[in-house]
Amino acid sequence: MNDIITTACKFVTSSIGRKILVALSGACLLLFLVGHLAGNMTIFGGDVAAGDRSWIEYYATGLHSMPAWLLWSIRLGLLAVALVHIVLAIVLKIENKNARTPYQKEGTLKATISSRSMIYTGILVLAFIVIHLWQLTINGDPATCYSHVLHLFQQPAWAIFYIVAILGLMMHVRHGLQSVLQTVGLATRKVRPLYNLVSWAFAIVVCGAFILIPVCVMLGILK
Amino acid sequence: MANLNLTLKVWRQENAQAQGRIETYKAKNIPDEASFLEMLDIVNEELVHEGKEPIHFDHDCREGICGMCSLTINGVPHGGKKVTTCQLHMRQFKDGDTIWIEPFRAAAFPLLRDLVVDRTALDKIIAAGGFVDVRTGAAPNANNVPVRKKTADAAFDAAACIGCGACVASCKNSAAMLFTSAKAAHLNLLPQGQPEKNKRVLAMVRQMDALGFGNCTNLYECEAACPKGISVDNIAKLNRDYMIACAAEAVGVFA
Amino acid sequence: MKEIKFPVSDYMPDSCIPEGPIAEKWTKYKREAKLINPNNRRKYTVLIVGTGLAGGSAAATLAELGYNVKCFCYQDSPRRAHSIAAQGGVNAAHNYQNDGDSVYRLFYDTVKGGDFRAREANVYRLAEVSCNIINQCVAQGVPFGREYGGLLDNRSFGGSQLKRTFYSRGQTGQQLLLGCYQAMEKEIGKGHIEMYPRTEMMDLVVVDGHAKGIVVRDMVTGEIKSYAGDTVLLATGGYGRVFFLSTNAMGCNVGAACACWKKGAYFANPCFTQIHPTCIPVKGDYQSKLTLMSESLRNDGRIWVPKSREVAAKIRRGEMKPSDVAENDRDYYLERKYPSFGNLAPRDISSRAAKEACDDERGVANTGRGVFLDFKDAIDRMGKEWIDGQYGNLFEMYEEITDVDPHEQPMMIYPASHYTMGGLWVDYNLMSSIPGLHVLGEANFSDHGANRLGASALMQGLSDGYFVIPATLPTYLTTQKPGSVTTAAPEFIEAEEAVKARIQKMMDVKGTKTPDEIHRELGKLVWEDVGMGRTKESLMDAIEKIPAIRDEFWNNVKVVGSTEGMNQELEKAWRVAAFLDFAEVLCYDALNREESCGAHFRLEHQLADGEAKRDDANFAYVACWEYKGTGELPVLHKEPLTFDTVHLAIRSYK
Repeated sequence: MNDIITTACKFVTSSIGRKILVALSGACLLLFLVGHLAGNMTIFGGDVAAGDRSWIEYYATGLHSMPAWLLWSIRLGLLAVALVHIVLAIVLKIENKNARTPYQKEGTLKATISSRSMIYTGILVLAFIVIHLWQLTINGDPATCYSHVLHLFQQPAWAIFYIVAILGLMMHVRHGLQSVLQTVGLATRKVRPLYNLVSWAFAIVVCGAFILIPVCVMLGILK
Repeated sequence: MANLNLTLKVWRQENAQAQGRIETYKAKNIPDEASFLEMLDIVNEELVHEGKEPIHFDHDCREGICGMCSLTINGVPHGGKKVTTCQLHMRQFKDGDTIWIEPFRAAAFPLLRDLVVDRTALDKIIAAGGFVDVRTGAAPNANNVPVRKKTADAAFDAAACIGCGACVASCKNSAAMLFTSAKAAHLNLLPQGQPEKNKRVLAMVRQMDALGFGNCTNLYECEAACPKGISVDNIAKLNRDYMIACAAEAVGVFA
Repeated sequence: MKEIKFPVSDYMPDSCIPEGPIAEKWTKYKREAKLINPNNRRKYTVLIVGTGLAGGSAAATLAELGYNVKCFCYQDSPRRAHSIAAQGGVNAAHNYQNDGDSVYRLFYDTVKGGDFRAREANVYRLAEVSCNIINQCVAQGVPFGREYGGLLDNRSFGGSQLKRTFYSRGQTGQQLLLGCYQAMEKEIGKGHIEMYPRTEMMDLVVVDGHAKGIVVRDMVTGEIKSYAGDTVLLATGGYGRVFFLSTNAMGCNVGAACACWKKGAYFANPCFTQIHPTCIPVKGDYQSKLTLMSESLRNDGRIWVPKSREVAAKIRRGEMKPSDVAENDRDYYLERKYPSFGNLAPRDISSRAAKEACDDERGVANTGRGVFLDFKDAIDRMGKEWIDGQYGNLFEMYEEITDVDPHEQPMMIYPASHYTMGGLWVDYNLMSSIPGLHVLGEANFSDHGANRLGASALMQGLSDGYFVIPATLPTYLTTQKPGSVTTAAPEFIEAEEAVKARIQKMMDVKGTKTPDEIHRELGKLVWEDVGMGRTKESLMDAIEKIPAIRDEFWNNVKVVGSTEGMNQELEKAWRVAAFLDFAEVLCYDALNREESCGAHFRLEHQLADGEAKRDDANFAYVACWEYKGTGELPVLHKEPLTFDTVHLAIRSYK
C-alpha cells in the first residue's frame, strides 16, 4: 500500500505525471464540451409544439430534474476535473517560467501561437466560465432560458464577449486535443499530421457551433 | 564568392556573477564561404589586435558531431537551419544583416562567460540512468541476440543526439524532454536495454525534474531546432514508458 | 648543407614482451599477471587524462573493477572527445561474413598496412581482443548497422580484402564513444569516478622517478591545481594540429604528451603522421579546420585532374566548369598509376599522388590545391537514387559546406592531416619510459606502425582501454604502496610554480601576434616541409625556421585577458607553445629516418616507379626520442623491431 502511495505522490509531483493529469483532465473537459454543445444546439429546435416551451427549455428543465445527488455529483466531479486542470497548468507554467532565462531577441521556428498562448487562452476561458455560470446557471431559470439567452445576446457587448471567449477556447482546444494524444504517448511522426487535422476540425466545428448562437441572435435569425 | 559586412549584437558577460549586456560589433569583409564560427574567429582576431578581450564561445570538432558549439542566433539555437552552429555558413546571411548572438539560455545551464554555458546537467541525466549496466568483459557474443533492423534503425535515430542542448535552449519552457527521451528511447528500444527499462525511465525523469528543467508543453520547438533531427516521437514514447514504469513500481511488477 | 648528428644512446627500456609463440603471448601474460584483491583496489587512485575511446573506456572499466578513478578532460563533457568524429567503422576479426577472416589475418593486415614498423606482439593482442570490443559495445546498446535477419552487418575498408568493419551509419565513432561515455557516467553516478571537465592537464608530476600526479588548470576559474595518484593514464590523442589545419578538433593538442616528454617519457616515431586523402580543400586564410569526407566515397568516385595546366588554370579562375572538360582531357591519375587498386589505393599513396598533380600545377580549387572526385560515371551507371542511398548524407554535408551540388559538378578534395601513428613510447604494459605513466590510444605509438588502416583507430583506443590496461595496470600498481604520495610533496609545488611561471611569462610578452597567427605560421611551415613528401632540404629548412617561430612566440605573442577566470586566448597560447616545443622532434625523426615507409615518404628514397623504398636493414626500429632541453638535440634510443611471424615484404597495392 505504501509503495502505491509513494509512487502516486512521485507521479503527481513529476513533470510527466502532472502533464498527464493536465492532459487527461483536459480530455474530460473536451468530452463535457461536446455534451454541452449537444444540449445548446436544441436552441435551434424551436418550440416542442405550438405554444409549448422551446426545446432548449425542455432540455434544461429535464437536466435539472435529475436527482439532486446525481446532479451535484456531476457538478462537483466537473469542478474537480477543472481544478486539477487549472491548478496544475498554472503550477507548471510558473515552474516553466522559472526554468527559463529569456533572450534579448526571441525567435520561434515551429511553435504555433495557440500552443504558446495556452495559459492566456486558458485564463480567458476560465474567466468566461465564471461569468457564464453566474449569468446562466446561478442567475438563470431553466424554464425561461430561451428568452434569457436571447436577451443576453441582443446586447452586442455580451455577444461579442461570448464570441471572443469562444474563439479563445477554440485556440485552446486546437492545441489541446493533439497535445493530449502526445502527452499520453499515442502520437508518432506518422499520425501527428492527422491529429493536427482532427484538432483543427474539432475546434472549428465545436467552437463554431457555440458561436453560431450569439451570431444568430445578433443577426435576428433566433428570435 | 562575396564578402559581407555585418552588425553583430553579442551577449557579453565576464563571468557567472557579472551583469551581462548586449554589445555591438562590426564584422567587416566576411567571406560568405566562411562558417559562422570562422566569422567569429575573424572578429575575435580583430578584437585581440585592438587589445580587447575576444568573445568567448564553446566549440571543438567544427564538423557538427561533438555537440560542443552552441550559440543562439537571432533567437534560435544554432540558427535554425538543421545544422550545428559550426556547420552554419555565412552564405545564409545577406550583406548588411544584423545578427543577434546569445548563449544557450536556461536556468539549468548557468552562464560561465559570454556565450559559454555549463551543460553538465545533461551529463547528470545520463548518469542517473542513460546506460546499460554491463561490466566490461562480461558481454555475450555480439550476434547472440538478433535485433530487428527496424528496431536497430529506430534506436540509432534516437542515439544520434549529440547532447548540444539546443532542445533545451529552444524550448519556451527550457524543458530537457527531447534530450532525455532520445537517450531513454535509444536504450529502451533495444533488447539489451530491456532489463533496466523501468528503472532507467524513472531515474532519468526524476533526475531531469530535480535539475530544474521546465515541463514539456508539446510546442515541438525542440524538434525544429535539433541539428540531428531527433523526433518528438521519443517524447511520446517516454511519456508512455513513464506511465508503465510508474504503474509497475506502484504495483510491484517488473520493477 | 649542415649535417645533424643525433646523439644515440644504447639504453632502451625493456618492452616487456612475453615469451612464447605470438598467439599465446597475451594468454600467457594474463595467466601470469599479478592481481589486486578487490578490497585493495579502491586504495589505488588512477588519474586518467582524456575521455575519448581510450581514456573513457579505461575510466569506466577501472572504476567497475573498483579502482578510485579521477578523470580529466578539456571539453565541457566527456562525451565530446574527438573520437566522436570517426565516421567509417571499427574492425574486428569476428568473421561473421564467412569470408575467411581470423585474428591472424587482422594482425597480418595491420602489420602490413603499417609497413612493418609496428611491434608484432602488440598488434597481435589488438587483433585478439577485437571481437570482445564488438561484444562489449553491442551489450552497451551501441546501435551497429544490421541486416534484415537481425545480425550485425559489415562493410569493407581500405587496405583489406575482407568485410570486417562494423559500423553505425557514418557515425561509428560517435556511437562507440557514447557507449563508453554512458559506461563512464554510470560509474560517475555510482561515485566511482570523479569527473573533472573543462580541466586541462598542464604538467606531469614525477616523484622519485615515478609518475605520481598531474598539474591542471581549471578552465573556468583559471586556478592551477594538482592531483596525486598512484598512476597516471594519458589518453590525450594525437598531435595532428601541429599542421594547424587538420581534421582534428580545435582543442586537440600535444600539451599533455609534450609535458610528459619533457619529464622523461620517450617520444616514438613522431614522423609517422597520416594524411587523409579525401578532405574538403582549404578555402582561405581564415579557415580554422578541414573537414573529412569519408573514404568510402572512393568506392564510386573517380579521382582526376585536367591533363593540361591551361585547363586547370581556367577552372581555378572559374572560366570553365569541371563538367565541361572533355573525357580525354582528364587525367584519372590513380587509375593510370595503380591499375589494380585504382581509386582505392591506400591513404598515403592517394594523398601523395594528389600532391604531385597539384605540384605539377594541374590542381583545381581557387588555391590550386585540390583534385576532383567525380561521381558522374557512378550516377550514369547506378542512378542518382542509388548514389543517394549510399552517400546521401555526405553529399548533403559537402553541399552545405561548399554550396556545390556533387550530383552536378565533381567534388573537390585534398589531403589533410588526420591521424598520428607516432606517440609516446610504451612497453607491452602500455607503460612509458617513466614508471607509472601509462599511455593509451592515439597518444601512444604502439600498434599502427608507419601507417594506420581505416577503422583501426577505434579498435585500438577501445582495446587499450577496455581490455589491455585493466589487465596490465596491476603489474605496475602491485609494486607501489597505495596513496604513498600526496600533493603536499615538494615536486607538486615545484611543478605548479613552474606552470604558473610559464603562464605568466607568456602573458607578460604583450606583443603583437595572436596565438592563432603564430600557430598558423608554424602549421604552414610544417605542412610544406614535413607534410606528404619530405626531403633532407625541406626538413633542414623546417629545423632552421621552427626556433625562429618559437622565439617570435616568446617575444611577440599577445595574450589578452587575465590568468583568472576563463581565458580562451590563454588556452590557445599554452597549446601553441607546446606545439612549438614539439615540432622539431617531428622534423628530427623524419630527418633521421632515411627511408620511406608508410606515411613517411622521403623523396630521396623511392623506387623507380615512385613507390616507398623501405630500408629494413637500417631502420627496422622504433625511434624513441628523449628530451634534453628546448632547442637541444634529443637523444635517440632504438627499440629494434623483429618480425618472427610476418615476413618482411614490399607493401604493394598495384
